[in-house]
Amino acid sequence: MKFLQSIRWRLQLWHGLLLGLVLAGFGFTGWRLEWANRLRAVDQALDERISVVAGVLPHGPSGGEQPREGRRNPDRPPPRQDIQEDSPPQDGPPQDQPEMGERPAERKIVLSAHDSGFFDGTSGGAYYYTVWLPGERLLSRSDWAPAAVPLPGREAGPRGSRVRGTVRESYHFTPQGFCVLVGRDISEELAGMRRLGLLFAGAGGAVFLLGLAGGWWISMRALRPIGEISATASKIAHGDLAQRIPTAGAGSELRELAGVLNETFTRLQAAFARQAQFTADAAHELRTPVSVVLTETQTVLARERSAAEYRASLEACQRSAQRMRRLTENLLALARLDSGEAAASRDSCDLAEIVGGVVDMLRPLAAERQLSFDLGLQAVSCKGSAEQLGRAVTNLVTNAIHYNRSGGSVRVTLEARPGSAVLSVADTGQGIAPEDIPHVFERFYRADRARSNPSGRTGLGLAITKAIVEAHGGTIGVVSEPGAGSTFTVCLPLDPQGQDTGAAAPTGS
Amino acid sequence: MKILIVEDEPDLLAGLARGLREEEYAVDTAADGEEGLYKASNSDYDAIVLDVLLPRLDGWMVLERLREKKKTPVLMLTARDAARDRVRGLDAGADDYMAKPFDFGELLARLRALIRRSAGLTRNRILLGAVAIDTASRQVTRGGEPVPLTAREYALVEFLALHRGEVVTRSDLYEHLFDENDSTLSNLLDVHVSNIRKKLGADFIVTRRGFGYCIE
Repeated sequence: MKFLQSIRWRLQLWHGLLLGLVLAGFGFTGWRLEWANRLRAVDQALDERISVVAGVLPHGPSGGEQPREGRRNPDRPPPRQDIQEDSPPQDGPPQDQPEMGERPAERKIVLSAHDSGFFDGTSGGAYYYTVWLPGERLLSRSDWAPAAVPLPGREAGPRGSRVRGTVRESYHFTPQGFCVLVGRDISEELAGMRRLGLLFAGAGGAVFLLGLAGGWWISMRALRPIGEISATASKIAHGDLAQRIPTAGAGSELRELAGVLNETFTRLQAAFARQAQFTADAAHELRTPVSVVLTETQTVLARERSAAEYRASLEACQRSAQRMRRLTENLLALARLDSGEAAASRDSCDLAEIVGGVVDMLRPLAAERQLSFDLGLQAVSCKGSAEQLGRAVTNLVTNAIHYNRSGGSVRVTLEARPGSAVLSVADTGQGIAPEDIPHVFERFYRADRARSNPSGRTGLGLAITKAIVEAHGGTIGVVSEPGAGSTFTVCLPLDPQGQDTGAAAPTGS
Repeated sequence: MKILIVEDEPDLLAGLARGLREEEYAVDTAADGEEGLYKASNSDYDAIVLDVLLPRLDGWMVLERLREKKKTPVLMLTARDAARDRVRGLDAGADDYMAKPFDFGELLARLRALIRRSAGLTRNRILLGAVAIDTASRQVTRGGEPVPLTAREYALVEFLALHRGEVVTRSDLYEHLFDENDSTLSNLLDVHVSNIRKKLGADFIVTRRGFGYCIE
């Protein structure tokens, strides 16, 4: 029953069930009402006739007036012999008083011409009556009366009605003890009700089918956006990241969902694009050194060379290999930072010591370019990995050396501010063009391509520095004045323990 | 044949220049876009090897500005090899496109093809009566017999053969046969022509006094 898992099928099922129940309820109630109405009309006619018949009966077993408008059959006076009470007969002594227990002969109740018209089949339907004497003796039956009409029970009260087969009968026990029953064949009404029932069933069925179709259409319309969402999502899953769910025309809830999904897709696409760009950039960066090695080896091996030529060629190959090594190291470092491995080590480390160590290590490089260091280091410690922080500082100071003018200076300061350690590295170089500033921390972005490759920069240094700083909960920024130099500022959260502020250790160079 | 290499990676530039010179090309080099454009605009090269990512002026810009003036065949050399980069390069007027890292032999073959096509030839073999020149193996034969030529002599014969029927001026010849590192003596050309005539026949190269040389 897989389709039961489908929302549309389940909606349809419930919809159909409810619609069916409602239609059946309405139809049945309507049919019952109509049946009750018709019965009431029949009963009314029957009751009228009961009063007509009862009117001609003696007013009581104990004697009464002459039947109204009635003429007693001279041959058949009203039976008095089976009336148990010793009431005096009204029309003289009965002439044909039978023995006790003897079945009394049926008699006709004589109705007036007008009243008899009620029972002659001319007033709509074949009415009949049957009258019983008290004691269940049959007194009289009309012409059309069925042969054996059972005497109704009195349990339900003196008045009542019943349906017997295709006849409707109303009866009345008169106070005198007579039981007057008037009946009528209602097969026409029954047939009418059957027709009505069929009509109701047919109409109900039609409405049901219409309702189902409408429900199907509505659920289809309501669920179509879901279909679109899933189609789009599956296209995206198959690699077409540019796909978006159309939001026009969907209901507001689904539009919201589609909006959220689209936003997610956009972020995913951007992440994939960044990843793809990164991979392409990494491959790109590797292409040039590989080209150098290939060209060198292919051209140099084409003929015999002098030792000096071989040496020069090997040196070129070595430079390229070194560049590839740096690149792979940096790529690995970035991959580790991206995966969050950096957050693992959280020792307290002395930033001043780290920065001092980096500066000492880079002094020879600075000296090569006739650069001087200008240090202002306060003792500050923060939590993190000394190795990674050292790498970040190395990148910043190396940049400051590389992008400096000959004879310039590199100013490195470290100070404790409330809550954070602030490291700033300022150079006196060309500065960074304003349009490049937003991109300097991007991977493989190099503001000045003219000086990039020969110095062996990979274009990843600042990206790695930023990743390290951010992994330590810090921030990095740069201000630059073209022609005057750039200042990179790193803020790292202070180590809450072991702050010995004020112990400034300024050194100069 | 003179070729300009515009490449900002010094090791690659040096390796390419050495390799091409050893293939008897005259090679000029430029380390950035501006220098490359200047040299390409002011000299007639037989082909230019142009890197895309260059300092100061990138390869696209160099190509765009060069195409305003010259039809020199350009082989783009780039680290990007996505199809859209190749399409962009070819649409921008590049004649060929190679992605780094490349095979040096393939680079040579593509350069030969570029030069050949710009001369209107479809094959590497040029027939001049009894003399046949194979530009791939750099061999000249006369009546089926190989004729030993020096590299300069071969270059002179090949250049004149590629411009068959045209009068090539002396300055054109200097331009295409000697690179910026050669010290060119004014009579060097006459020495080469005289040597070629000894090897391939006196009327192989015709001198047009006051104009230049021609292979008819």
